[in-house]
Amino acid sequence: MKSLERVNQFYLLKQLPKATALLCKKGILLDASCSWLGIFSLPPQNETIDTKVFQLYPEISNLKKKLKEQKPFTVHHKIENTRETRHFKSYFAPWFDEKENVIGTIIQTDDITSEVEKEEQLNWLTNVLETKVEVSKTGWWEYSVEKDELLWCKETKRIHQVPDCYEPTTIEAIDFYKIGYCQNKVSMLFHKAIANHQPYDTKVMLVTFTGEERWVRITGKPFVKDGKISKVFGTIKDIHDKEIAETRVKEHQQLLSTLVDSLPLNVYVKDLESRKVLVNKGECNYFSKNADELIGKSDFDLYKDKEAQISRNEDIQVMKHLTPMIGKETVSKLNGKTTYFLTSKIPYFDLEGKVCGLIGMSLDITSLKKKEEQLRNLITVTSRQNQKLISFAHIVSHNLRSHSANFSMLLEFLKAEKDMEERKQIITMLNRASDNLLETMENLNQVVDINTKSPEIKKPIDLKYTISQALYNLSDYLKSNDAQIINNVAENIEVSCVPSYLDSIIGNLISNAVKYKNPDRTPIITINAIKSKEKLLLSISDNGMGIDLNKHGDKIFGMYKTFHKRKGAKGFGLYLIKNQIEAMGGSITVQSEVDKGTTFNVYFNEEN
Amino acid sequence: MKKISCIFIVDDDPITVFGIKKMLNSATSCDDIQIFQNGLEAFHAIKDRQAKGMNMPEVIFLDINMPIMDGWDFLDELISLDIKKQIIINLITSSIDPLDYEKWNTFKDKCPHPLKFKNKPIFKIETNDLVCMDVAS
Repeated sequence: MKSLERVNQFYLLKQLPKATALLCKKGILLDASCSWLGIFSLPPQNETIDTKVFQLYPEISNLKKKLKEQKPFTVHHKIENTRETRHFKSYFAPWFDEKENVIGTIIQTDDITSEVEKEEQLNWLTNVLETKVEVSKTGWWEYSVEKDELLWCKETKRIHQVPDCYEPTTIEAIDFYKIGYCQNKVSMLFHKAIANHQPYDTKVMLVTFTGEERWVRITGKPFVKDGKISKVFGTIKDIHDKEIAETRVKEHQQLLSTLVDSLPLNVYVKDLESRKVLVNKGECNYFSKNADELIGKSDFDLYKDKEAQISRNEDIQVMKHLTPMIGKETVSKLNGKTTYFLTSKIPYFDLEGKVCGLIGMSLDITSLKKKEEQLRNLITVTSRQNQKLISFAHIVSHNLRSHSANFSMLLEFLKAEKDMEERKQIITMLNRASDNLLETMENLNQVVDINTKSPEIKKPIDLKYTISQALYNLSDYLKSNDAQIINNVAENIEVSCVPSYLDSIIGNLISNAVKYKNPDRTPIITINAIKSKEKLLLSISDNGMGIDLNKHGDKIFGMYKTFHKRKGAKGFGLYLIKNQIEAMGGSITVQSEVDKGTTFNVYFNEEN
Repeated sequence: MKKISCIFIVDDDPITVFGIKKMLNSATSCDDIQIFQNGLEAFHAIKDRQAKGMNMPEVIFLDINMPIMDGWDFLDELISLDIKKQIIINLITSSIDPLDYEKWNTFKDKCPHPLKFKNKPIFKIETNDLVCMDVAS
């Protein structure tokens, strides 16, 4: 069969640039181009080699049948070796002679490895994209400007809740957004993307096909070529759940911060080192600083060391033993101002349940404390006054009773007495009893006046002048007792006092000092006055007999208490002046030593 | 009429002293009635009598509110003295202060002498104000 002419023909075949082979009708390879042989790693063909084509295409099982049909067809196949896999496309076509008789088959084979690889890569990319779309729930869309055609991907349709077959127009697509702000916004952004080539990325409300309102994030990106827009590509993502969750978180935060800020408490969160990590408005106002200035600061930066240490010790106790400190009264000094707090500190745990600091709350109870103090003072004053009233009632009852008892007794005697002399004596006694009663009544009246009359007006009085007046009034008495007066009171000291009370106080104390002189010594009476802002101290000292204060200390200012056998000692003077001094808001104290002398200190209250 | 050797009246109120003396006249006959203005004077007199081996008062009429040494302080001092014979002590007071009554109660227990509490006014002195009722009989 093989002739020279044919050999020439075959020689031509060998050189064909495209891999080509010729088969006989039986499927035996007659010859092929070098490139074809190269593909199948075959040696140059000659009569001795009998290469059957079916062996070369093992994956094409029906190749024999197909060849018999004598029609052109294409098969894809691949050749693997240890190094690589190559993909090929072989085109089989019947081989005719001059008389159009089929004498065999022509095969042309193309290496399509790069195409296949590209296709595989494309498939892979498509796959990746689809997975991404599926996982991220981000749909895409594409609008072709020229064709005015809008294309939605599956996910985009799912987001819109439309069936897969739905094909939207731009107008329809825009209509899906909530009427009003959202629709206007999308419409404008889309228009700008086309007109001004502006990309966009925004959050809007979508109303789905089934009427559900959902938040979506949409983007759009114009594709511009030679200054002309060709299409707009964009994405759409359903962020409704996230948006709602975020809104809820924001609402909670808003609620929490409003709550924390509006509480009438100083609230702060501290870390393990007792540094503030959160402060509320109350805390900021207390320090007159804004939150940034307080955060990161510890009590050592804000208070004196000693106070800060107390607070730090509390913090450690709370964080170490995890025992909350509830409602402890604490004191804070800031810029010289003292504030009382009712403080609670509770351990603060992180999400893993480990302690990471503490939450503190302090309620300012300064005004409450002040009120409590005032109340306590009031109670003290009231109970003191009450005590005074009770003791006064006893004095009254005792003194009046003793006189009335005397009257009863004497009258009873008078009734039974026949003897005239005796009757006369009883009547004398009755007169005396009556005088005593009158005197007692007068004394009691004075005390009642001091305590019950609306407080008499205090006036500024010159102390030195009042003392010299008193000394002048007592001058006969002082002279007869040989008393020496040392008046150290400075000029121009004014005391705010009821004039008649001051006369009584000075008069009583000086005459007392003389009255209880030591019979073996010349009485020396020293008068001093010290004035401070709120008080004036007047002290009158003597070198007299003194009083055993251990024995009589509680009675010295009592009514009708006398301690020495002295004529004219009635035990009323000190009681009276004590009442007068206290009625003016002052006080009186006594120091004394038997046989040495006595000092009375009178404190005048200079406040009103 | 019971004869009593010695009676002390310790009171700073002359009217009460007058009254007691007058009532004593019709209740007893006593040649030795001593008047004291306060507790200290009476106490000194008792100590003096004890030192001299003189007879002690059988009865004392004692006021509570007195200057210098009051009735209570006098009782304290009296208790501290070692007096063999019992003295009938009549506390005479116009006080209706419950504190005085309580104080009397505590003194009654610690005082070796019979201690009576009499509120003014008194109109008559009874025999049992003057003699010691024998508890044993």
